[in-house]
Amino acid sequence: MNKKDITVNKLKSLGDIILEDVEKNNVPAIKVPSRGTSNIVYDDEKRYYVLGDRYGKRSLGNVKQISKMAQMVYVANFCKDLVRRGKTATLREMYYVSEGWDVDFGDQQESNIVGEDLEVTLGMTREDLGLMPEEDGASVYGNITLQDDDVEINALKAGKSGYTISPTIDEVNFVDHDVKRVIAVETMGMFHRMVQESAYKKFDCLIVGLKGQAARATRRFLKRVNEELKLPVYVCNDGDPWGFHIAMVIISGSAKLAHVNHQLATPDAKFLGVTASDIINYDLPTDPLKDIDVLRLKELSKDPRYKDDAWQVEIKKMLKIGKKAEQQSFSKYGLEYVVETYLPEKLEALE
Amino acid sequence: MEREAAELFEEFKELTASEFFRRNKQMLGFSGKIRSLTMVFHELITNSLDAAEEAGILPEIKIDLKRLDKDHYILKHTDNGPGIPEDYITRVYSTMFAGSKFRNIQSRGQQGLGCSGCVLLSQMTTGKPAKVISGYKDGDTLKGVEMTFKMDVKKNKGLVLERKDVEVQSTGVSIELHFKDVSYSLSEQGAFEYIRRTMIGNPHAKITFRDPTGHKYIFKRAADIIPILPKEVLPHPKGVTADDLIFMAKHTDKRRFRSLLTSNLSRMSTKRVNEIEAITGIDLNKRPKDMKWEEAEQIVETFAKMDFMAPPTSGLIPIGKEQIEKGIREILNPEFVATTTRKPKTFRGGVSFIIEAGISYGGDSGRMVGEQRKAEIMRFANRVPLAFDQGSCAITEALKSVDWKRYGIRDMDNAPITIFVNIISTNVPYLSTGKQSVAPEPEILHEVRQATMKIARSMQKYIRAKKAAKEEAMRAKVFENLVPVIIREAAVLAEKDVPEYDAVLAKVTHRAKYEGVVEDE
Repeated sequence: MNKKDITVNKLKSLGDIILEDVEKNNVPAIKVPSRGTSNIVYDDEKRYYVLGDRYGKRSLGNVKQISKMAQMVYVANFCKDLVRRGKTATLREMYYVSEGWDVDFGDQQESNIVGEDLEVTLGMTREDLGLMPEEDGASVYGNITLQDDDVEINALKAGKSGYTISPTIDEVNFVDHDVKRVIAVETMGMFHRMVQESAYKKFDCLIVGLKGQAARATRRFLKRVNEELKLPVYVCNDGDPWGFHIAMVIISGSAKLAHVNHQLATPDAKFLGVTASDIINYDLPTDPLKDIDVLRLKELSKDPRYKDDAWQVEIKKMLKIGKKAEQQSFSKYGLEYVVETYLPEKLEALE
Repeated sequence: MEREAAELFEEFKELTASEFFRRNKQMLGFSGKIRSLTMVFHELITNSLDAAEEAGILPEIKIDLKRLDKDHYILKHTDNGPGIPEDYITRVYSTMFAGSKFRNIQSRGQQGLGCSGCVLLSQMTTGKPAKVISGYKDGDTLKGVEMTFKMDVKKNKGLVLERKDVEVQSTGVSIELHFKDVSYSLSEQGAFEYIRRTMIGNPHAKITFRDPTGHKYIFKRAADIIPILPKEVLPHPKGVTADDLIFMAKHTDKRRFRSLLTSNLSRMSTKRVNEIEAITGIDLNKRPKDMKWEEAEQIVETFAKMDFMAPPTSGLIPIGKEQIEKGIREILNPEFVATTTRKPKTFRGGVSFIIEAGISYGGDSGRMVGEQRKAEIMRFANRVPLAFDQGSCAITEALKSVDWKRYGIRDMDNAPITIFVNIISTNVPYLSTGKQSVAPEPEILHEVRQATMKIARSMQKYIRAKKAAKEEAMRAKVFENLVPVIIREAAVLAEKDVPEYDAVLAKVTHRAKYEGVVEDE
C-alpha cells in the first residue's frame, strides 16, 4: 500500500469510529493525544521529544468539545480530498475554505490547532495530510540529483543559491549523489562563502543554508538524507545559545512538534561549532553575552536534550568567558580560513 | 441723602409674605425653568391627591399643558376631589401660610408654598389672572362656580375679577394658569417624569396628561384601594424642639405645663414629668404661657438624656409592597420586580419611619440615555417623588454603598434597573428648604440598605435563573446544530450512509441539561 492510500484509510477510519458509536447508540468521542507540556517527554532511547500516553477527549456530548469535533471531521474530509487529488493547501488556504463549512473557526490559530489535533490523532504529519507550511525550506548546494514529479534537478546546476527545499519534500525522490557528508550552516552568508570556496568539492559534501531556525521541510530533508542515503549530518552555527539551539532542534526535535519528531528529528546529526572552546582556541572576535543570552544558556543547561557532558561543558564555558562569536568571525584570519583551516580541523576531530 | 433707619424699617414691616416671596421666588422652589414647572405640577397634583383621599374618592386628574410660545404655557389642571366651597377658593389659591398649624402627621407636604405659590408664579411671569372652576356639595346640592382672580401680594389675599355660577357634572376643581419662564422637559427632573413617578408611588390614582405636542398619555389606575388616611399621632419627646414646645404652649388650652406635656407628647407619663421636674428644677405647675425659651430648651435637653419607649407607629401608613409592585408593573412593565416594606424604625431616638423599596429589571426599567438603558433611582418621601438634589440624599448615599457586584450586577450604572425607595414618616428629615433630599440619618441609611439588599437578592436569583435558561437554550442549540453536521461529515469521511442518530441526539441534549445544572452549583 502506498503512502497516499494509508493516509486515506486512516482518515476514513476516523469517520468509522464516529459512525460505529452512533450505530450502537453511544455518544461518539475521539481520543486526541494531549500536547500539553506535562505530556511531552524526552525519550532517552530515541534521543528526541515524544508525546506521553495521556489523551484528551473530543466528545459529541460536551458543548465545548463538540465544535472541535465538528471542525476535525471537516478538516479530515478536506485533507482526504487533497490527498485523493494529489494536491496540497496551506493552512491559510484551509482557513479560507472553511468559510463555507457549517462550523466556524474563530481565527486561523484555531484552525491550525485542529490541524495539529488531526496530526496527533492519526500519527501523521500535516505534510502527509496535504497541509503545507507557507515557507520554503533551506538552500542546498552540492552534487545530488532529485526528482520532483517528472522533473530532475541537480543541486550543483541550480544556480549559486542552489536548490530550495520544497514544503512537499516527501514527494521528492533522491535519484543519485556523489557526496560523503552534509554540512548545514545557520546563515546564507556562510552558505555563499562555502560555495565560493568550493567547500562542496573539498569536503565532498552538500552545503545546506538553514536561514536561521530550520523549517519543517529542511528538517525532514536532513533526516531523509541521513537515514535514506546514510550521510552524516554536521551543523555549524553561530557560537551563542541561539545557534546551539538551532542545531539541537535538528538533532532532537522541538517540544512543540513532539508528535511528529519521529519524522523530523535527526538524532545522529552532530554539532560542529562554533563552540565556546572554539572561541578560545581560535581566539575569535567576540561580543559580550547579553542578559537574555545568559538566561537562555541557563535554561539550556537544564534541558534534557543538553544533558550530554560535551554540551554541559560548552555551556558552562561560555557562561564563564561571558562571550559569544558569530560563525563569520573567522574571516578575521582571511575569507578562506574557515573552509581551509577551521572546518577541516573540526571534521577531523568529529570523524 | 441717607435715609433714616426708621424709614427703612417702615418698608421692611410692610413686606407681606406674598411680597417677600415675590421678591425671592427661588425660596418657593421656583429656580430654573424646568424645576419651576415640575414644582407647579407637584403642588397641584399633591393637593388633588390629598383632597380626593380625604374625601374617600379614588383620585383622577386631568392635566393639559399647552404651549403658546417659547417659554409660555397654559396649564389646565382638573381633579375629581370634593371641590372647594366658593368662600375658600381665594384663600386656598391666594393666601400664603393659610391655616398653618402644628400637626404631627404623615403628609405628602408642600415643597414650596402650595397652590398659592403656583398662582404667584403665574402672576409674576405673565401678569394674567388665575381661573378656577369648583364643583362642590353644599348640603345635598351640587354647586358650581367659576372665578377669575388675581393675588394682591401687598395684602396677601385674592382679588376677584369675575365670578359666575356654572353647571358642573360632579365635584372637583379645575384651575387654569399661564406661565412664562418655565420649560417642559422630558429629563429626569422634568414634569413628565414627575407624573410617571407619582403614578408608581400612587397606584390608586389615574392621571391623563396631554403634553404640549398634543400627545395624550393615560396613566391607568393599577390598584383600586384608597389608601388609609394617616392619623395624627402625638409627637415623641425625642422628636420635638424647644420651638415646638413654645408653639404648643401658645396654642394649648391646658392650665399647667405638666398636663400640656402629658397630653401633647406620646410616651409621657406623670412619672416621667416628675422626673423632668426633679432633674431640671423647673416648676411644671406654672401656666404654659409663662414657659420661657431657656426652660423649653432645658426640657428638650433633658428629654435627650432620658429613655422613652419608641414612638407609636400607628400614624405611619406605607404604600405596601403589593401596591408598589402594582405601580411598578403598570408603569415600567418589567421582566422582574421585587418589593418590600420594612417594619417601622426610629431615627434621632424619637421619630418613627418606614422604608419601602422596590427593584425592577428589564422592560422599561432604567433610564434611556442615548441607545442604552442606565440604572435609575426613584426617591420618594411619603409617596411624593423627589426630583432634585439627588446627590446629597440619604437614599442615594445608601444605594451607592451597596456592593452591587455581590448581587450579580457587574456594571450597576449601565444595568436596565430601576430602584424605588420611599420613606414614610411624620417628620421626614429633609436636608434643605426645597425638601428634595433626605438627611443621611444612620438609621435611615441602614434601613434603605437592608431593604434594597433584600430585594436585590431576589433579583439576583431571577437573573441567575434567566442566565441559566439562556445558556441551556444555547447549549441545546449547539447540539441540535452540530450533531447532524458531524454525523453527516463522518459518513462522508468513512464513505458510508448516514445512520439513524435520533437516540444519540436525545442523549446528548439531555446530558447537556444535566451538565448545566451541575456546573451552576
